[in-house]
Amino acid sequence: MSARKLAAGLGACAVLLAAAGCGGSAPSGAAGVAAGRDEGPVKIGALHPVSGANAVDGQQMRRGAQLAVDAINAKGGIRSLGGRKVELETGDTQGKAEVGQSEAQRLISAGAVGLVGTYQSAVSTNVAVVAERNRVPFVMDVTASDAIFSNGYEYSFRVQPGSAAIAGAAARYLKEVSQQAGKPVKKVAFLHEQTDFGSGAAEAFTAAAEKLGVEVGPNISYDALTVSDLTAQITQVKASGADVLAVAGYYRDSLLAAKAIAAVKPRLNAVWGVSNGAYDQPKFVTDGGALGERYFSTNYHFDAKNQQTAGLRAGYQRRYGAPMRTGAVLAYDAVQVIAQGVERAGGTDAEKVRDAIASSKVEPRTVGTGPIAFAPNGDNKNALPVLMQVQNGQVKQVYPAEKAESKPNYSVTWRS
Amino acid sequence: MTGTTGITLTGRPGAGAARPVKAPPLRPQNRQLAVLAVLLLVAVPLPLVLPPAQGAVAVRILIFALMAVGWNVMSGFGGMFSFGHAAFFGLGAYTSAYLLVEHNVSPWIGMLAGMAVAAAVAVVIGYFAFRYRLQGAYFALATFAFAEMLRLIVTTTEFTNKAVGFTVPLIRGSSLWKIQFAADSPAYFWIALGLAGLAALVSILFLHSRTGRYVTAIRDDEPAAASLGTPVMRYKLMTVALSAAITAVAGAFYTQYYLFVNPDLAFGSSVSIQAIATVVIGGIGTIWGPIVGAIILGSLSDVTATLLRTPPGFLDFLQGRSGLDVAVYAVLLILIVRLLPKGIVGTIAARWRR
Amino acid sequence: MSNSGTKTEPPPAPAVRRGPLARLSPGDGTGALLKRAAATGGLVAVAIAIALIKSGSGLVVWQSVVTGLLMGGLYGLIAMGLTLIFGVLDIVNFAHGALLAIAMFIAFGVVQGTGLHPYLTLLVAVPALFLIGAVVHRGLLSGTGGASLENQLLITLGLSLLLENGLLMFFGAEPKNVALPGDFQFSLFGAVVSGARLYAFLGAIAIGALLFWLLRRTRFGTAIRAVAANGPGAELVGVNVRRVHTLTFAIGTACAGAAAVLAAPLVTVTPTLGEQFNITAFVVVVLGGMGNVAGALVGGLLIGLVEQLTTIYMDGQSSLLGVFAVFLIVLFLRPQGLFGRRS
Repeated sequence: MSARKLAAGLGACAVLLAAAGCGGSAPSGAAGVAAGRDEGPVKIGALHPVSGANAVDGQQMRRGAQLAVDAINAKGGIRSLGGRKVELETGDTQGKAEVGQSEAQRLISAGAVGLVGTYQSAVSTNVAVVAERNRVPFVMDVTASDAIFSNGYEYSFRVQPGSAAIAGAAARYLKEVSQQAGKPVKKVAFLHEQTDFGSGAAEAFTAAAEKLGVEVGPNISYDALTVSDLTAQITQVKASGADVLAVAGYYRDSLLAAKAIAAVKPRLNAVWGVSNGAYDQPKFVTDGGALGERYFSTNYHFDAKNQQTAGLRAGYQRRYGAPMRTGAVLAYDAVQVIAQGVERAGGTDAEKVRDAIASSKVEPRTVGTGPIAFAPNGDNKNALPVLMQVQNGQVKQVYPAEKAESKPNYSVTWRS
Repeated sequence: MTGTTGITLTGRPGAGAARPVKAPPLRPQNRQLAVLAVLLLVAVPLPLVLPPAQGAVAVRILIFALMAVGWNVMSGFGGMFSFGHAAFFGLGAYTSAYLLVEHNVSPWIGMLAGMAVAAAVAVVIGYFAFRYRLQGAYFALATFAFAEMLRLIVTTTEFTNKAVGFTVPLIRGSSLWKIQFAADSPAYFWIALGLAGLAALVSILFLHSRTGRYVTAIRDDEPAAASLGTPVMRYKLMTVALSAAITAVAGAFYTQYYLFVNPDLAFGSSVSIQAIATVVIGGIGTIWGPIVGAIILGSLSDVTATLLRTPPGFLDFLQGRSGLDVAVYAVLLILIVRLLPKGIVGTIAARWRR
Repeated sequence: MSNSGTKTEPPPAPAVRRGPLARLSPGDGTGALLKRAAATGGLVAVAIAIALIKSGSGLVVWQSVVTGLLMGGLYGLIAMGLTLIFGVLDIVNFAHGALLAIAMFIAFGVVQGTGLHPYLTLLVAVPALFLIGAVVHRGLLSGTGGASLENQLLITLGLSLLLENGLLMFFGAEPKNVALPGDFQFSLFGAVVSGARLYAFLGAIAIGALLFWLLRRTRFGTAIRAVAANGPGAELVGVNVRRVHTLTFAIGTACAGAAAVLAAPLVTVTPTLGEQFNITAFVVVVLGGMGNVAGALVGGLLIGLVEQLTTIYMDGQSSLLGVFAVFLIVLFLRPQGLFGRRS
């Protein structure tokens, strides 16, 4: 090895270490100044995966949270604190649980009165622990897993309906919509990805469906990370004679399923998304084209019938040049929950803010049966999953009737 | 293929341990032990000085160091290049988490159990790999496959809570027996420091022990060692078991510190990569390489993330670009490996000797 | 290929390195090879029969076999590039998947920008990947820094991180789609076959044949095989080993480029999509024997089948589990691959 190379290599290390020295001091300095929550703006921490595989949704949600902060400040800040402004402290989870944890700790050290986040269940599980130990309220915007709410945590709240709630609603809606269409459902095949998300949805759906007297089977799972073709699985559905196919998957694999369905053309009356990551996304309509027409999906959703939601989404579109997704609307709601908690607590004492949130009533921009209000375990008891359908290239809310933009069309395109 | 490339001769002093000119030279073992003692003494007051955010980084560095020391025993001293140390890390993490969550067993006991399980599995994997004479890239890919299979199995097994994993139940107050303290307590650092110090101690003693000497001899020339009647298989298996046990400690402590573990965190290939990268950057087959590598890698992601969050003026345009911090990390990784192929400690030691 | 500067006949066989690397293609007794092929075929037949019993539906199994074989062709093509690099340069290239992703984004970008037919982007993606491969080898992997296994591993891993996150920065994480105009599907004895998959399969076989011809029938191929068998020896007889290494690496990555274009209409293009193919490709390489191009194709088909059959055998398990199980068995029992020669 030449001396030049050695010098260069050691130089690279030196740069690293120097960066460690100066870069590392930044957050600590910030923590020292801002740790007092009583002065300056009220800080709300927003933790989302703004880099990594889910960066698009993460950025959407961070912006949604920012819009909420701007809206609060435009209305004069926190009135009970003499109009103190609100400020968003942002963190990037990179979609990794351990990064989410250290970022949460950082935001709390920086003086956040509450946290919102995090889009992924595994990350939220980790952040909930941090929030609980530091006694700082954590209001989840998007987090499907129900397991977090069985730990008896006092500082964890959730705006979106949980996985089991969505799956239960999906089964109920299926029974009702199919009956109204005169083609009552007989047998549901369930295709799902194999982790907690998909299998949890399948189990909850099966339990609810069997209570309603609907047979569920076969139950087919796949590995979302590696699957490259679902034709054989859809062939299995075709062979089983099921009249409805329920799908719980992420975006990429759900799109694969749609391609396979179009190829195999099983004898179905409906394709029924459950917490599906694709079938209620405008992007799915763009990517899939005619493939996705008439697909159903039961999921959480922004309230398309609400004027204020429409205004919020129009504002987002103006400012960021992209349609606002449901996750961003949920982040907006979650920030509002914390801000109104501070407002009602009349201070930034985390304990009092937590109590105020626990008894809060916040008007949501997402679909709900009433204001956001939390059950003792922290779940939003007024969250309402809604049934959507792709109709003429548009995702429409179709059921229940009071939230419907148009009527459900219980059929599939290849068997009309 | 692994052979001896990039591995310094053993028994040589690490960086910074200059040979005194007049005083009778210490045996390398004692000198290394003395350096270790000094390092530990210097580190002990750190959490009292560091701000809380840096405290977390310090603990992460120690967890990296534990993993790296474990990996180095097998792959550095033993020359058996493992690309599947996530298996042992994960077994340590899951064994202790399972015992704690399901049977309320203290994580200290869980840690010991995890070490035993990991060592046992390592011996099985090692037996098959050595029995069928896998070497170099083949051995690495085999260990990788084992770790991935464990991940897939854990992901779909009811008994291990499938993809959800385990959340450590929170207790009121602190408990040394349960390894649970307030979030910013220095106790975490001290326990991690104790464990990492112990691991480094074991690795030094191992290197200078009879087994260690045999293992490095086997690494350098297996046919020669075998022809002298060395029970090659036995020594290799002992090395593998020790390496797995140390790595399992890292996993068990990780679970206690982060209070949560799932299949990807425990068995994901990024864990294996982490262990390898740490040692290769520090210096493979050296005593201090894993420690130096852990300090650099443990703080690196934090540094880049901080820099990008509040960039200095001339880097402003980078703010908010996703993926940049990992890209920077990757570039530095490539640069260090390219420019210092023996790792930092290995390169310095090589210069020193000239 | 005059530019390889070689004047050699096929090199003498004395292998400096022992093991399967010494041969680039099956060369041992045709009888033994046939026997092994028959044994493999028999195993596959038994596996399919068991799948039939387990699933109880002939249609499902038949569809699985068809799907598996079609996908397997693609795996084979991806693995061909890897096996060349593995066999000739001894480099475990973990950046192969990321290079595949780069090529897919090139295909996507060109289709978006010019409206070209997706398959015509081969004309752009393959040369681009060839160049990238040459640059990567010259810049990162040759010389002392890239010598040891662990350093190569880290460099290629670092490179894959860099490429993936570079793509993330420039294209964002939003999944992209490359639509194939005029895609169709037909029924093959009841199993559905889509045109895009069939084209990818046929393309894989064609490129495999081309590569095989290049290696067996050209002077340049001879030089490559000479270097693979005995680097110092080849150097002695006038082969420019370093250049052969670089060109081989570049051809390997160009294969990834071709595979990416053929696969682009079948997948959702994301920066991290290479990872799933990378692991499978490694398994295929070992299965087919390192450096064995034809073996890679057969290995790819087998792995495609294994994937599909695993989902029938083990409900709710990842198809990768079966792949790894087969991998370990092969690694232990025939580390030289199904079609390599025992040293």
